Amino acid sequence: MTTLFKNSRKILGMNARNLKFIRPNNLRRAKRLADDKLSSKQMLKKADLPVPGLIAKIGNLDELENFDWSALPGSWVLKPNRGFGGEGILVVYGKKKGAENIWIKADGSLVSLDDIKTHITNIVDGSFSLSGVPDVAFFEERLKLLKLFKPYAFKGVPDIRIVVFNKVPVMAMLRLPTRESDGKANLQQGAVGVGVDMATGVTTTAVYRKNTIVEYLPGTRLILSGIRIPHWKDILMMAVKAQEVSGLGFLGADVAIDGERGPVFLELNARPGLSIQIANLDGLLGRLERVEGLKIKTAEKGVAVGMNLFGGEIEEEIEDISGKRMIGTVEKVKLFGKNGNEVEVEAKIDTGAEYTSIDQEIAKKIGFSSVIEYFEKIDLPEDFSREGGKQILDDLRKKYLAGHDDIVDFDIVYSASGRTIRPNVKIKLALGEEEISSKANIAKRVNLKYPAIIGKRDLKKFLIEVK
Amino acid sequence: MNQFVQLALSNGVPLDTLILVLLLPIIVTMIAFFRQVIGIKAFGIYTPAIITFAFLATNEIRYGIAIFVTVIAMGTFIRYLLKQFRLLYLPRVAIMITIVGFSILILLIIGGIYNRTGLASVSIFPILIMITLVEKFVAVQIEKGGRAALILAFETLLISVIGYYIASWTALIGFVLNYPWVTLLTIPANIFLGKWTGLRLSEYFRFREIIKSK
Repeated sequence: MTTLFKNSRKILGMNARNLKFIRPNNLRRAKRLADDKLSSKQMLKKADLPVPGLIAKIGNLDELENFDWSALPGSWVLKPNRGFGGEGILVVYGKKKGAENIWIKADGSLVSLDDIKTHITNIVDGSFSLSGVPDVAFFEERLKLLKLFKPYAFKGVPDIRIVVFNKVPVMAMLRLPTRESDGKANLQQGAVGVGVDMATGVTTTAVYRKNTIVEYLPGTRLILSGIRIPHWKDILMMAVKAQEVSGLGFLGADVAIDGERGPVFLELNARPGLSIQIANLDGLLGRLERVEGLKIKTAEKGVAVGMNLFGGEIEEEIEDISGKRMIGTVEKVKLFGKNGNEVEVEAKIDTGAEYTSIDQEIAKKIGFSSVIEYFEKIDLPEDFSREGGKQILDDLRKKYLAGHDDIVDFDIVYSASGRTIRPNVKIKLALGEEEISSKANIAKRVNLKYPAIIGKRDLKKFLIEVK
Repeated sequence: MNQFVQLALSNGVPLDTLILVLLLPIIVTMIAFFRQVIGIKAFGIYTPAIITFAFLATNEIRYGIAIFVTVIAMGTFIRYLLKQFRLLYLPRVAIMITIVGFSILILLIIGGIYNRTGLASVSIFPILIMITLVEKFVAVQIEKGGRAALILAFETLLISVIGYYIASWTALIGFVLNYPWVTLLTIPANIFLGKWTGLRLSEYFRFREIIKSK
């Protein structure tokens, strides 16, 4: 019981959040600005901070009647200005071909002009605003999903919540929309929250449905840790600058990464939620107290302090000493094949294997279908001794190597399941930030847990951490 | 008996009124305590307080609970029915109050059929209060979703029932009539609660994964 009490002192609860952080740091004027999406958008834009472009706004029924629908682009997002919790947001991906004023939603269903008009009427009447006050509806550009996030996000765009206090980014979380959350990145609605290491922008632990700690994205085999959020430093910098211009001393900034424009602000939050602590498995109060009272002059300094205090831990230190990057025994690896084909897989880092080996299906995906077809036609010797292996390889090379441009060699692989002859092809690997040119053999790995293993030859630049 | 109480009674203030007003500070302080220290939220402070008094005004608390549950159940059901019509807020609430009102009448009639005369004879004041509870319920449904609204309704019921038992505790009533000024001690108690920044009991549960991981 005493340890329970001691450990929980670093956790920020509702009482302390309201009394110690929101009340003294977020003045009413600043709070009102944050609750008003259009005004905060304008303010951010003025400060040269990126926001999704505003297409049009509708403030009353007259404006709705006279609205020029042909001026709308194919895809857009419709939002209530004072909406909360992601309610009342309508996202369309394009116009239906050949039809006048019919749009397509993310799930493929259609929305007619009448549907949209009813929705806007509801927004203007205040159905989605706090305490039902009349509201403004606005259209803004739809963000394009970043390729990296594609496997992780269901129907919507993930966003990154960063809590900033006293110009220091103190904690962050990546929010992934799921089927359950209907494409919304709101934790209450069933999105997954993933904690982020402040120094590197690499994801750590994840929470789903309030309190369930998850390792994989629900319903998939995708590991949630180890995702490296791109533009990390820029995102932190933006968040700190937003705090400066908004006057919110205690801010939750929501940033999304657009496939084309890079990071943009979604909204500012004057009352950031507390679940971010569960996603990071760490208390906010401890972090806030470390930052409180520091005299930070510039945004750069604040970002540096945040990265230093709340991230890194030991991994980066070891890397600094050896100059090698630390990786685990299972890592996400990008494979680049022919004609710019690429695929990302979870690979086993296997120092027991000499060469990298990939599954046939993966090989097909990156442009080596013809290699497999060609190889299957070759009449391979079934029974041979270890000594005879060399002779067989030599024969194979003489006879068949010239027959296909992509095959660079043949190999005999001795494994627990016996001996197999495999064709080798040239591929490139990307492991973290390192790119490696590799010679990989193609194998049938259908029944194995990982569709690829990375062998010793390709691991010279890494240290492998065995957990 | 206390002089102040005697003064009030001799000038025509009914005893019931006096007791209720003296108990009110204790009830609302209890609600504040439940929110800040335990973490049971309910629908603000007004709703659980007024429901507590509505329970006191029904003859037996089980009838009060029956009416409360009917209102919430109907509120959930009608919301589901009305969803497709996409009505504006006030007309929608008006419809809900109408239907809830009729449901309560039916409940009272059913009570009469089964010879629960106590139910039918509940006075109009608590019934009206509980019917209008549906507005609060709808507002929370819109703001926080149906599930959260149901949880808050349950918490309101819980707090109101506890409040009912506190307020009908004869020893406490005797005490406040003898020492009416003691109820003012709730003010410093609330100053303490208002400055309390510790974790709520419910937050130890909410953040258990973090506490465990340390």
